[in-house]
Amino acid sequence: MNVGTAHSEVNPNTRVMNSRGIWLSYVLAIGLLHIILLSIPFVSVPVVWTLTNLIHNTGMYIFLHTVKGTPFETPDQGKARLLTHWEQMDYGVQFTASRKFLTITPIVLYFLTSFYTKYDRIHFVINTLSLLTVLIPKLPQLHGVRLFGINKY
Amino acid sequence: MAHTSAPVRNGHPLHPGKNDVGLRNGFSKNGQHLHHTKGGLYKRPFTESFEQAPLYVAVLTYMGFGVVTLFGYFRDFLRAWGFEKCNLAQEREEQKDFVPLYQDFENFYTRNLYMRVRDNWNRPICSLPGPQFDLMERVSDDYNWTFRHTGKVIDGVINMGSYNYLGFAENDPTFLTSVEESNEKYGSGVCSTRQEMGNLDIHEELEKLVATFLGVESAMTFGMGFATNAMNIPALVGKGCLILSDELNHTSLVLGARLSGSTIRVFKHNNMQSLEKLLRDAVVHGQPRSHRPWKKILIIVEGIYSMEGSIVRLPEIIALKKKYKAYLYLDEAHSIGAVGPTGRGVVEFFELDPRDIDVLMGTFTKSFGSSGGYIAGKKELVDFLRLHSHSAVYATSMSPPVAEQILRSMKCIMGLDGTTIGIQRVRRLAENTRYFRQRLNEMGFIIYGHEESPVVPLLLFMPGKVGAFAREMLKRKIGVVVVGFPATPITEARARFCVSAAHTTPMLDKVLNALDELGDHLVLKYSRHTRSSRPELYDETSFEMDD
Repeated sequence: MNVGTAHSEVNPNTRVMNSRGIWLSYVLAIGLLHIILLSIPFVSVPVVWTLTNLIHNTGMYIFLHTVKGTPFETPDQGKARLLTHWEQMDYGVQFTASRKFLTITPIVLYFLTSFYTKYDRIHFVINTLSLLTVLIPKLPQLHGVRLFGINKY
Repeated sequence: MAHTSAPVRNGHPLHPGKNDVGLRNGFSKNGQHLHHTKGGLYKRPFTESFEQAPLYVAVLTYMGFGVVTLFGYFRDFLRAWGFEKCNLAQEREEQKDFVPLYQDFENFYTRNLYMRVRDNWNRPICSLPGPQFDLMERVSDDYNWTFRHTGKVIDGVINMGSYNYLGFAENDPTFLTSVEESNEKYGSGVCSTRQEMGNLDIHEELEKLVATFLGVESAMTFGMGFATNAMNIPALVGKGCLILSDELNHTSLVLGARLSGSTIRVFKHNNMQSLEKLLRDAVVHGQPRSHRPWKKILIIVEGIYSMEGSIVRLPEIIALKKKYKAYLYLDEAHSIGAVGPTGRGVVEFFELDPRDIDVLMGTFTKSFGSSGGYIAGKKELVDFLRLHSHSAVYATSMSPPVAEQILRSMKCIMGLDGTTIGIQRVRRLAENTRYFRQRLNEMGFIIYGHEESPVVPLLLFMPGKVGAFAREMLKRKIGVVVVGFPATPITEARARFCVSAAHTTPMLDKVLNALDELGDHLVLKYSRHTRSSRPELYDETSFEMDD
């Protein structure tokens, strides 16, 4: 436990998304979610895809853009306490490999969902809104921005 | 993994000596010796390995962390809504509407992961930490929130965690007579700083002996090893200087570097290309905005890194330092006494001249069974530190019995006490290290580090196995140190063994058998480069599959 010690890796959270195997784990987790939803007997395939998209985007929004700080104490005197995980990644450097990957995955999922829902209007509206909630916070212009004071402290 | 950007693999059995990255290592043949030793810098092949586990292991590790996180959120929910008793400190009812004092998310990992496996750390021992010790048995009735001692003592637990490299943590009265006498003569406290009234003749004798031991002009000792780094780096460098520090440097070095006020740049662990790039950038571009030349460039490295078991690439660093005119600070906390044919540390291990290193630092805590630290080098450097070090001015000097213990153990290692006990211990440590590492490699575990470093990290990877491993080893009466995230990278939780000269072969065999059994039970044998125990196979010139 390096709690309270000085370490040259000040915030381990910044490196988590670059660790070995995490992209694969993420894709497998989406696959697992999809299979679980597909096993529910009464829902049709388009609804399952929309549900996958929605649940994935909600989860991503919560874990990457809502939860702030680190689950352990860091020796950086609280610099990361008000930052979400997305803002902490790679110490705020934009357009790194992990950031690009995490931006592209919801888009790919959106394409697949649009295909399997046969571009139905209601599904389209829901999926597009959900995609926007997950893409807009990732823009570099919105780094550290809190709209209407939501989630500021 | 960030710090293994230059992984150095062992020679694969079918392709001896063939490697992908930079430095050649492994089992070199005579004709290709120069080719394998980087232009003659290394006199022997440098064999380190940081093998990566298969990808499914990393995926399972993340799943483990995911499960623990989900359960953590669930339990926090239960605690918040009163379904479960909350054992943590809470704010008073009257203060519930105030701004909270602590952010409770920062405590998430501690209360939801660390608490579950907390019984594997801070175990109280009730004997001296030699090769075996006695543990006080403690149980927990509420899942590790509180502990209760049953009163029983588990004795004869094999100690694989103490930094007792040469076995000087011992209680034998015949060895400790001089320490007892110095306690009678000087008392146990000095009660003053070196510059005032705390400079005793025993300190002068100790410093002369340390300088002779290391082969340098002069040395200075301090009462505390951590403080040696933290107080002396600020005396050596300051604003306008540049510190190039290894990624995995110890807290004391990082703290000393930060206290000094110089610019700190971190290079990848033991990666000479990264260091050279930083050196070139520093020399070419100078200070950040003014582009003035740096006043000093100080490279800070350690001899043996205690979490990885890797040994610093000293010949290459010295070559770089001479080329770019930088200074070198070598922290030999774990390597002094533990490596080298006569125990003189990494400088002797690589057969280099100690005068090439500007500041030699080390501690007496690990191999000498005592406490304190030293800084050694040229006479001008040490005289400067005697005047300007914070320790010399403000900190109490070393206690006399502690100094006497260092004197007697150092004389023992050097052979000045008339016996060969010291050199036998050094050789015993080297044998134990080789044996232990070789057997672990044969069994198929993933071990990190240099093949001759007495620090042996055994990778466990998954958070669940960390707790299970330590508990199972304790059941078999072996005490180990385990470490997990965030002290290590997220996928590399490990158990760290410290081999000691005081371990006898039956003790090591007991540990190895237990590891063998546990390795099968917990599925820890992930190594895909199984090494044969017969090295002559690596010199084969024909590569038939069924030979």
